[in-house]
Amino acid sequence: MHLFGFRNSLPGLILAVLGSTAGFSAAAVEFDRDVAPILVGHCLECHNGSDLKGELNLAQLATATKGGKHGPAVVAGNPGESLLWEKVSGDDMPPDQPLGQAEKKVLHDWIAAGAKWGSTDTLDPFQFTTTKRGGYDWWSLQPVKRPDQPAVSQPDWVANPIDAFILDRLDSEKLSPSAPADPRALIRRLYFDLTGLPPSAEQVAAFVANPTDAAYRRVVDNLLSSPHYGERWGRHWLDLARFGESDGFERNNVRNNLWPYRDWVIRALNDDMPYDEFVRMQVAGDVLKPGDPAGQKAVGFLVAGLHNTVVGGSEFMKKTARQDELEEIIGTVGQTFVGLTVNCARCHNHKFDPIQQKEYYQMTSAIAGVFHGERNVSDPELARQREVLRKQVASLGEELAGIENRGREAALAKRKEAGPSDKPEPPKPLARWEFDTGLEDSLGSLHGVAKGDARIEGGALVVDGSDAWVETAPLAAPLKAKTLEAWVQLGTLDQKGGGVIGVQSNDGKFFDSIVFAEREARRWMPGSNGLVRTKSFGSPEENEAHQQPVHVAIVYHEDGTITGYRNGLPHGKPYKTGRHDFSAGSSQVIFGMRHRGGGNNFLNGKIHRAQLYDRALGPDAIAASAGVESTFVSEAELAAALGTEEQARRRALKDQLTDLTGRERALGNGSSMKVYTVAARGNPGTVRLLKRGNAMNEGEVVRPGAVAALRMLKSDFGIKQDASDNDRRRQLAQWLTHPDNPLFSRVLVNRLWHHHFGTGIVETPNDFGFNGGRPSHPELLDWLAAEFTDNGLRLKAMHRLMVTSNAYRQSAAPREDGLAVDADNRLLWRKSPVRLDAESLRDAVLAVSGKLNPKMGGPGFRDVSITPNNGTTYYEPIYPQGDEFNRRTVYRFSPRGGRSAILDTFDCPDPSTTAPRRAVTTTPLQALALLNNHFILSKAGAMADRVASDAKGNLDAQVTQVFRDAFQREPDADELRLAKRLAKEYGLTTLCRSLFNSNEFVILN
Amino acid sequence: MNDLGILNRREFFNWGIRGIGATAFASLLARDTTARAAALGQATFPNFAPRAKRAIHISLVGGMSHIDSYDYKPGLDKAHGKPLGSSEKPDIFFGQVGLLRRSDFAFKQRGQSGLWLSDMFPNIAEMADEMTVIRSMTTDSANHTPALFFANSGFEFNGFPSVGSWVSYGLGCETESLPAFVVLSDGRGGPNGGASNWTSGFLPSQHQGVELRSGKTPVRDLFPAIEQPKGSDAAARDFLHQLNARHADRSGADAMLSARMRSYELAARMQLSVPEVSDINGEPEHIRNMYGLGEGHTGDAGRRCLLARRLLERGVRFVQIYSGGPIGGSPRASWDAHENVKDNHSTEAGRIDKPIAGLLRDLKQRGMLDDTLVLFTTEFGRTPFAQSGSDKVGPGRDHNKYGFSCWLAGGGVKAGFSYGQTDEIGWKTVENPVHWHDFHATVLHLMGVDHKKLTFYHNGIERRLTNVHGHVAKGIFA
Repeated sequence: MHLFGFRNSLPGLILAVLGSTAGFSAAAVEFDRDVAPILVGHCLECHNGSDLKGELNLAQLATATKGGKHGPAVVAGNPGESLLWEKVSGDDMPPDQPLGQAEKKVLHDWIAAGAKWGSTDTLDPFQFTTTKRGGYDWWSLQPVKRPDQPAVSQPDWVANPIDAFILDRLDSEKLSPSAPADPRALIRRLYFDLTGLPPSAEQVAAFVANPTDAAYRRVVDNLLSSPHYGERWGRHWLDLARFGESDGFERNNVRNNLWPYRDWVIRALNDDMPYDEFVRMQVAGDVLKPGDPAGQKAVGFLVAGLHNTVVGGSEFMKKTARQDELEEIIGTVGQTFVGLTVNCARCHNHKFDPIQQKEYYQMTSAIAGVFHGERNVSDPELARQREVLRKQVASLGEELAGIENRGREAALAKRKEAGPSDKPEPPKPLARWEFDTGLEDSLGSLHGVAKGDARIEGGALVVDGSDAWVETAPLAAPLKAKTLEAWVQLGTLDQKGGGVIGVQSNDGKFFDSIVFAEREARRWMPGSNGLVRTKSFGSPEENEAHQQPVHVAIVYHEDGTITGYRNGLPHGKPYKTGRHDFSAGSSQVIFGMRHRGGGNNFLNGKIHRAQLYDRALGPDAIAASAGVESTFVSEAELAAALGTEEQARRRALKDQLTDLTGRERALGNGSSMKVYTVAARGNPGTVRLLKRGNAMNEGEVVRPGAVAALRMLKSDFGIKQDASDNDRRRQLAQWLTHPDNPLFSRVLVNRLWHHHFGTGIVETPNDFGFNGGRPSHPELLDWLAAEFTDNGLRLKAMHRLMVTSNAYRQSAAPREDGLAVDADNRLLWRKSPVRLDAESLRDAVLAVSGKLNPKMGGPGFRDVSITPNNGTTYYEPIYPQGDEFNRRTVYRFSPRGGRSAILDTFDCPDPSTTAPRRAVTTTPLQALALLNNHFILSKAGAMADRVASDAKGNLDAQVTQVFRDAFQREPDADELRLAKRLAKEYGLTTLCRSLFNSNEFVILN
Repeated sequence: MNDLGILNRREFFNWGIRGIGATAFASLLARDTTARAAALGQATFPNFAPRAKRAIHISLVGGMSHIDSYDYKPGLDKAHGKPLGSSEKPDIFFGQVGLLRRSDFAFKQRGQSGLWLSDMFPNIAEMADEMTVIRSMTTDSANHTPALFFANSGFEFNGFPSVGSWVSYGLGCETESLPAFVVLSDGRGGPNGGASNWTSGFLPSQHQGVELRSGKTPVRDLFPAIEQPKGSDAAARDFLHQLNARHADRSGADAMLSARMRSYELAARMQLSVPEVSDINGEPEHIRNMYGLGEGHTGDAGRRCLLARRLLERGVRFVQIYSGGPIGGSPRASWDAHENVKDNHSTEAGRIDKPIAGLLRDLKQRGMLDDTLVLFTTEFGRTPFAQSGSDKVGPGRDHNKYGFSCWLAGGGVKAGFSYGQTDEIGWKTVENPVHWHDFHATVLHLMGVDHKKLTFYHNGIERRLTNVHGHVAKGIFA
C-alpha cells in the first residue's frame, strides 16, 4: 500500500483550492474557477511565453482572440468558429492527452457564453497547482509555521514532541506504536546510525546491564561527540556532493587533490558547524573567507562532480560542454540545499514546478564564474602532515638502503670469487654513468648535475616522477647516428611519459629519448619532439620493470631506422623515419625527464647505469653490453645474496615506501598544497537565456538571481548583470541560507529523518516539488524545521531529538496489523530494519576483525589499479594489504567507474550524480561478493588468527569470542555446538566468513 | 520456521509481499515480471506482444565508416577528388576537411533482396537477406565517449542506465541462475568509458551489466578469491542457513531476511551455471569453425559470439559484445580510422566478420533468429571527405554524426531491407532520420515495451531511456 506515493496522486491541495472557491455552482462557467485551470494546466505549456507553438498565445484574451498562424483561436459566442474548440473537440489538442468530456464542456460553454476573461489580464502559468504541475501555492514553497503539539491517545509514550506527531497519525489509522526495542538491538542500532561502526561487546554489555533512559542519553551524547560521527554523516553528505576523485567522461583522469573537501566536511560536522555556515562555505567559502584554506577546500562542493576535459573542436561542442557543466553544478546546488530541480528548466519552463526558464539562467549567472581547477592553498596542517611522512620515509629508506647495500656488496664479492667470465667484449661507449656514488661520466666529460629532488641512493640515480632530473654538460662533438642505453627500474608501471635517458637541444625543443608509456600504456618507445620520429614498436607490455631493473636500449641508425632492445634482445619492430642531428655545444644528455618543457615529463624510478654511443650498435654489440659485468647488481643476484628474512623485510619496506612517498607527493611542495577547487574567474561577464537550451541560440540577457516562486525572498539579487563572481556567489549563498527560506530548513531536517528512519518524511529528499513525494507528516516536518532554526541550525541537537524519541526506540519486529495497513512503514508503527550500507558493512568487517585503522583524514587509500590507456583511464579493483588499506571506507579513493565488488553490489552509488537516497537490493551477486571477495576472506582470516592467539587451543572460548566480536552477544547452546563443528572441521576462518554473511551481521533490527 | 529447508517460490512470494522491503524481494525475483510489477505498483511489461524476446547488441567502438560498408554511394565515386563545396563549418573532431574520397571497398548487390553491401564484410554480406540496414542514423556528439554513452544510454554523460539495464529492469530475466544483462568486452581491452557503458545508473544495481571474462573466474567473486579448505563452501552455507533460520525465529519473519536467504541459493546456482555456459569446449567442431574459433584473428570475437548464443539459450535477456578496445594509440585497437580507413577497417572487420555471420547462421538454424534481435551499431559514421589538407584526398576519415549506418536482424524486423537515406555523398541523413532515441524506442518496441511507459523516478524526473524523445521506426517491422 502506497500511502504517500508520488505517482499519479492528486494532491489534496487542488481539491482544497477548487473546493474553497465561493459560490461554486455546477451550471454557470466561471473563468477564474473553471476555465483558467484548464488553460493553465493543458495549453500554456506551449501557447505562452517567448517560444510560442503555432504563434498562438492563450495567456491573454486579446492574443487568444487574435489567434496564431492558423487563425483566431477564440471567437466569442461561437464555438464552431473557434479553432480552440475545433482542436480540442477533435482531440488534436492537447497533443498526446486529449481533454476529458467535462473539461471540454467547460471550454465549449465558456466560448458559447461570450468568452469572458477573469480577474487578471494575463494568466500566470504558475498561478495554480493543477493535476499536472505545481504552482505558487505548492506546499513546500509556503513559509514554515510551527504547529502545536497534538493531543494524543497515549501521552505516556511521548518522549518528545516528535512522538506526539507520530502517534497522532497512528491514532488516526487506528494503529499503535510497537514495544521498545530490546536493549541490545537498540544500542547496536544507535552505534551504527550515529557512527557507522558496531559497538564493542563490552559497550553492549554495559548498556544491557543498565538500559535506563539516562544511560541511553549518555551513549547518545558520547557518540555525537565521537570523531566517527563526522565520518558517518560526512559520508551521507558526500553522496549528495557526488564526491568523485576522477573527472569522468572520456579521459576520467585522476583527481589527486579533492580529498581536502572530504576532510573539511567531516571536520565541519564533528564541530557541529551551524548549517547555514556549512552551506555558505560550500557555495562561497573562498569569497567569504579569502585567504582561509577552509574556504577554498569547502567550495570543492561545487566542482566535485563530472568534468569533461575533451570537449571537441567546434564552437558548438565547446559551448555546449560549458552549459552542461553549469547545469551539473546548479542542478546539484538546487537539489542539495533547497530540494528544487532547477536543472529541469534549462530548455523550457519547468514542466512540474513553478520555475521559469529565465530563472534557471539567472541561477547559472550566479555561478558563471565557477570553473573546475586546482589552487595552491597554504595550510600549516599540511606542512605538519608532510613532515610526519618525510620522517617516516627517511627512516624506512635508511633501513632499506642498509639491507640493499649489504646485499650488493655480498653479490659483488660472490662475483669476484667466481672469477672472470668468458662473455664477449662489450662495445665501448662515448659516455658512461655508473650512478654508484655520483653523476660523473666515467669515460669522458659529460658529467651530470642533479635538478630538483634527483639523488643518488643505493647505487642508482633516483627520480620520483615530479621535477627531478639530471642534465649533463654540452656535447663535445655532434651526434648523428647514436645508441641510448640504460638499466632502469620503474617506481610503478602506471606512469606516463617519463624519459630515462635522452639527448636534447639545450632548450628542449629537439630530442630523442627512451620514454616509458607516453603513447601506449606500459610500453617503451623512442620519444621525440612533437612525436615526429616516434612510432610504435608494437612491443609487448612491460610487466616486470617495477620489480627489477631491466636493460633498455634504442639505436638510431644513419638512415633513420630506429631499433629497440630490451634485456639485450630486439624489442618489437624497427621502423624507418627521419634522423635528427644534435650539434655540439648546444645539446646535452638528460636523465629522468623526456625533454625540457614537456608535460607529463618525469620518470618515477631508479636508473642504475646508463651509456651513450656515438654510433648505431648492432644486435651482437647490444647483447654483449646487456650482459656486461659492472658494479650493477641485478635483482636476481641481490635476492640471492639476501637471506629470506631480509628479503621479506625488504619487500615490506618497499611497499610501505611506495605508499608513503605517494602520499607525500600528493601533499605537494613548499608551504602550500594543491587543492582541487573552484578556479574562479573574477569577471564572468553577462549571461543570456538560451532558447530551447541551445548553446548557439542566445536570447535576452539575465541578471544573477534565483526562483521567484519562493515569494518571501527576493529572486533578483540586486546586482548588475556583469557583477563580479564574488558578488554573485555571495548573493546566491545568502538567498539559499536566508532565515525565511522555508526549503532550506525543511530539506535538511528531512535528510536527517531519512537517514535515521530509513525514509524521509518526504521520500524524495532532493525534490520537494510536484514530482517528488508528499510529506507523510507535514506538521512534524514543519515542527522540526522550526525547531532546527530556533536552535541555531545545529545538526547535533536535531540528531539528539530524533534518536531519543520513542518512535526511534521502537522494536523492529514485524506486526500483522501494521503490515496490513502500512507495509512500507511510513507511519512508523515500528522501526524499520536496516540493511547495512556498503561502507558500514566494510567498516564493520574491519572493526570486528580487529583490523580497523582509525586514522582520519589525508589522501585516500587506493584499492584500485589506475591504468591510463590511450586517452582513457581505467580503474580496476585490487586488494593490497597493509594498515593503510584498513582505514574506514569514507577514506577510500573514489574514482568514477572504479568500485570494488563489495561497494558495487551493496548499492554504493557511482559518484556521477547527486544521490540523496540509496537503493537497497538483494541479489545473488551480492551474496557472491560477501562470500568470496578477497577483502572479506582476508579479514575472516585475520579475525580467526587474532581469536586463535587470544584463546589458544580452547575451541569453546574461540567460538564464543567470535560470536561476541561479530554479534556482541554469546552464542546459545545450539549455535555453539554447530559453530564448533564447523570450526573444528574447516577452521575458524570459515566460521568468521559465515558470520560476516549472516543476516544478523548485515541487517540491523 | 523450524523447517530449515529452502522456502519454495510461492511461499517466498507470499511471505515477501506482505512484509516490508517488498522492493528488495521483488528485485530478487526479477524473473516473475508480473509479480514484480505488482509489487512495485508499476505498469506491467511487456505492454504488447513482443517480436523479440532477447537481444544481442554488437557495438563497434570508434566509428565505422558507413560509406565504405553499408551505405552505397555512387555519387561519391563521381565526386571523388572534389571539394565538399559547403561554407558550413562541420562539427567533426579534428576539423580538417579534405577532398571527397570514394569508398575504398567495392559494393555489390547481395542475396535475393539485392541489398547493396560492400566487401568489407564478405561473410556477413551473405546474410543480407536476414537484415534491415538503417542508413539514416544521426547522433548529437562527434566525440567518442559522449557518443558511445549516447548510443548506450540516450545521454552523453556518465551515470545513465544503458539499454541492457532498462531491458533488464522492464523485462527481467528468464533464468534465475544467470544475470539478465551480460557484457563481453573486446580481448584488447574495455571500450573508452569502461564499465560506465553498462552501468545501471540510478536503476537498482541488479540491472547492471555483468562482465563475463575469460579465465577461471568469469564473473568476479564467483569463487573464493583466497583458497578455502575443501568442502568449506558447502559447510559454511549450511551453517549460515541454520544461523539465519534461528535469527528469523527470534526477530520475526521479515521479507528482507528471507530475500537474503534466497539470494544465497541463487548464488550457488550461479556458481554452477556460469562455468557451464562459459565452457565452449563441448561445442562440436563444425559449430566452432562456423564462428571462426580456430583462427587467430577471429578467435576472440568468435568465442564471444558463441558465448552470446549460449547465454541467450539459457535465458539471458540482453548480451552486449564490443568490437574495439580503447580509443587512440598506435596501432589502433578500434574502428577509429583517422589515418587510413582501408587498412584499419580491413583489420577490424576481419576480426568480427566470420564470427558474426556464424552467429546469424547458428541462430537461424536453431530457430532462435525469429525471436532474437541482433543489433549491429557504431557510435557514429565517418566523413565522405578525407581527413587531410583541403587540397588532398588522404586515406583517413574523421567522425560523422550527421549520417551513418547500423543494422538489425531477426526478432521481427524486415529481411533484406534498407531504411532511410543519406545524401548523394553519404554526408548527412536526408530521409527517415533515426536518432538514437528513435533507435532505442524501436528496440524497446520490438521487445514489447512502450518506451514512454518504461520509467524510473530519479531526482525530480520520471526518467526514460529515450529522455523526452523517441519515435518508433515502424517502417522496419516485418
